[in-house]
Amino acid sequence: MNSGWDNETPKQAVWERWLAEHTAGFLLFARQQTRCEADAQDLVQEAVVESWQRQAANDPPPLALVFATIRRRAVDLARSAERRANREAATFIEAAPCWFDSSAEERERNQLIQEAMQSLPEIYRVVITLKVWGGLSFPEIAVALEIPANTAASRYRYGLAELRALRSEVFA
Amino acid sequence: MNEAEEKRMEAALRGIVPAQPPADLMARLAAAKPAPQIRRASGARRASARPAWFPLWRWLIPATAVVMAGLACWRLNLISAWHSQPMVAAVTGPKLKADEVQIDRQLISAFDAVGKLPDGEPVRYHCQEWMDKVELRDTSRGLVVQQSTPRLEVMPVNFETY
Repeated sequence: MNSGWDNETPKQAVWERWLAEHTAGFLLFARQQTRCEADAQDLVQEAVVESWQRQAANDPPPLALVFATIRRRAVDLARSAERRANREAATFIEAAPCWFDSSAEERERNQLIQEAMQSLPEIYRVVITLKVWGGLSFPEIAVALEIPANTAASRYRYGLAELRALRSEVFA
Repeated sequence: MNEAEEKRMEAALRGIVPAQPPADLMARLAAAKPAPQIRRASGARRASARPAWFPLWRWLIPATAVVMAGLACWRLNLISAWHSQPMVAAVTGPKLKADEVQIDRQLISAFDAVGKLPDGEPVRYHCQEWMDKVELRDTSRGLVVQQSTPRLEVMPVNFETY
């Protein structure tokens, strides 16, 4: 099969390993940006492929680029899908996905964290998500969100403080 | 919240694992090998197989056309300049500056002639033959231009007035 790769197996392995490592973080971020699970998954796929295609070499794209692409596409999706807003909101209420791993024994705790995260202001929530579960540094968050790095850092600290205030029983 | 508390809380949050993506999403992503990347890779391979001077070759044909067009224009200008050189010299030379002009006329001869109209009535004509002369002088260049034009005046004269 002529795939165009110089050495298909290593490239495919790199691609799949990179996906396995980071897709959960991408999907978590996308779920926070969209109204329904299907949109979140589509967003992740489109952003990952677009970010990879932008790379001049065959290396995986920077994480900040993928998160920035997810965010940009989510904004576009929210604008273009205004007509479907009510239907999607209903879908969101019916089938809100679990943001965190619910198979573990700490399901109840994770559910509390998810509710606290959902009640956080978005400017705090996105920074905490990118820092903790996205693995980005503050300069990378600054690139992804197009904000100064100092702003990202201060939002992170304010967000953590607010999160702890919301769930003092969890973070005691 | 101090830095130690911040670190502790961050560690606690990191202990919470994001939900694993659905298997169908992972399958979609794994299948979505970036196609343009493939094209770029094959294009790069083609480019690397070409010799280093190949980019110059792409410009050789249009550059040759431009040079040939320029040569043709230059040659046409050269030929037309060569053909028009005397005329250009006459046209572009210094104009005649006539600082002395003489206009003269000289009566050469005068005579009468008699003719008849179609109804037989006689008519007499008084004829004068003149030579008109114009002379231009450009004293600074020592140039003299003379022009002489013969002219015949014919005036009918009635027999009654005569």
